[in-house]
Amino acid sequence: MPDPIISIQGVSKYFGDFMAVEDITIDIEPGEIFALLGPSGCGKSTLLRMIAGFEDPSEGRVLIGGEDMTGVPANKRPVNMVFQSYAVFPHMTVSQNVAYGLKMDGLPKAEIKEKVAEALEQVHLSQFAARLPDQLSGGQRQRVALARALAKRPRVLLLDEPLSALDAKLRDAMRLELVKLQESVGVSFVMVTHDQSEALAMADRVAVLKDGKLMQLADPMTLYQKPANRFVADFIGRVNFFDVTQSTKGSAEIIAGPLGALTLPAPVTGTGEHVLALRPEYIRLSPAKEGGLTGTLGDVGFQGDSSIVEVTLEGGKQVQALAGPEDTTMLLSLGTGAAVALSIDLSQARLLPA
Amino acid sequence: MAKRKKPAPFDYARKWPLRLTFLLTTLFLYAPIVVLVIFSFNNSRRGGNVIWRGFTTDYYVKAWNNAGLVEAFVNSLAIAVISTVFAVFLGAITAVTLWRFRFPFKPAYEGLVALPIVIPEICLGVAIAVLFSTLGLYVPPGAPWPFNLTNIIIAHITFSFPFAAMVIRTRLNTFNREMEEAAKDLGASEYRVFRDILLPHMKPGLIAGALLAFTLSLDDFVITFFTSGPDTVTFPVKVYSMVRFSVTPEINAASTVLILITLVVTAIAMRFQTFEDPR
Repeated sequence: MPDPIISIQGVSKYFGDFMAVEDITIDIEPGEIFALLGPSGCGKSTLLRMIAGFEDPSEGRVLIGGEDMTGVPANKRPVNMVFQSYAVFPHMTVSQNVAYGLKMDGLPKAEIKEKVAEALEQVHLSQFAARLPDQLSGGQRQRVALARALAKRPRVLLLDEPLSALDAKLRDAMRLELVKLQESVGVSFVMVTHDQSEALAMADRVAVLKDGKLMQLADPMTLYQKPANRFVADFIGRVNFFDVTQSTKGSAEIIAGPLGALTLPAPVTGTGEHVLALRPEYIRLSPAKEGGLTGTLGDVGFQGDSSIVEVTLEGGKQVQALAGPEDTTMLLSLGTGAAVALSIDLSQARLLPA
Repeated sequence: MAKRKKPAPFDYARKWPLRLTFLLTTLFLYAPIVVLVIFSFNNSRRGGNVIWRGFTTDYYVKAWNNAGLVEAFVNSLAIAVISTVFAVFLGAITAVTLWRFRFPFKPAYEGLVALPIVIPEICLGVAIAVLFSTLGLYVPPGAPWPFNLTNIIIAHITFSFPFAAMVIRTRLNTFNREMEEAAKDLGASEYRVFRDILLPHMKPGLIAGALLAFTLSLDDFVITFFTSGPDTVTFPVKVYSMVRFSVTPEINAASTVLILITLVVTAIAMRFQTFEDPR
């Protein structure tokens, strides 16, 4: 494995009594897109700002390219940032904005010109070089911010909520474009986001944070399929939770809960209170027949290619199921209030500590 | 049923009460100035603001040849320019300090800076005069121009810099702090951030503050009256002493020129101010 480009070692940050970041250790590999994901106030932005040099860790240290960054101010670090508000300088033209960082490095004029042209080319803004930022759209301003940061050839590009200020359609397009841009320039991207779908779609690896603590660090597939705890399962995608009591009987695991007695194929350790996490796509609905698990059909949330269906189990527990196009037609013809049978793919269920 | 229409921007002019108010307020605001300007061209010997006796520009020539009046006029402009430079400089430093830093008793300090704005001018005038005489801080008579105006200039800076500070402070509140971080992130030092990012953002505030300080200084009578000596007369003080005998079209003429200068300065400042805000 190559040496990490950024190494966050036991970093904590307090603001007075408030613990913003708590003992986090993360290595970021060269050339990857790494996402810091979590709800607002989870410490992800503080962590990013500690990499950039706008905050100092209260404990621990940050290494960039193997060098300890403790005491190195933001303007001397080999990383550059794209800010949430883009922070494009309004009194400078697009090319002056992009040139600013190079000018600060004291590069000769000819070289600056060359690099600015190249950076603008990369983000498809060449024909806007002479414009002022207020003559640009939000998406174009973001490209200026990107070009400005990339022109400095940083070891790592930091992105703070890069897509949050764009409208939905542009956001989807920009996701793909950012990934393509990263592939072409080859530097690592570290992005902060509160949008799990953004993190799943773009990142090679994701760190999920909550209350300043690292909840799980994994690739998107693992996060979705094998969440380490209830928070991650809930935060990433849709999920149903069932409170279950587990007892060990021989080698099979028997669980009592609203689903009745079940045998889980996955190995489980210990006994006691647990939650069973089950994604909606592993619950299949069909017209009610004798026996088995049944429930009452609720709302069918039609989404075009699929539907999110609410079902109330006997005993009042509500669950969500994902129905394909054919099942949707069938369920809509049954109508709200109809009795439906649930078949559950238990091999895809995860048993997590309560 | 009549179709309801959204009022067009100039619809108010069709409603007579609004039209009347508009007319009256405009009249109220500009009648004195219009009369002043018209009668500066009145061809009458004395008490020239009563009966129109034909058009003449004689009084402009006369005002130009009135050495005392011209001297007062030049004094006023010099005091205004010099005190504006200092007021904006001090105001900017004060505004940035208040905006940027946290320190003990900051709210008290903020209040203290703004206090001269609400203190009655007459009190401030007396206070400054008393201070100067207590400390013996008088420029000796016969000092070379414009150093003979030092006392008035100091007094003018005192009352105009809080205004400049307030205006600049307000402008700073609209600054996006990420802009500063972005510049630093790109390698700028603290000084470069100030020069390249903060100062351009402050520019409209600096211009507005300067304009305010300039006009405040130009037409100040009360405080100037307490700090001026026999050889340091400003335009308002001079006009006051001339009016005590009679209002001649000469004063009208000089005032018209002053209005013109103010308008030109304002227009220039407005042109500089066409700097777009960041969104």
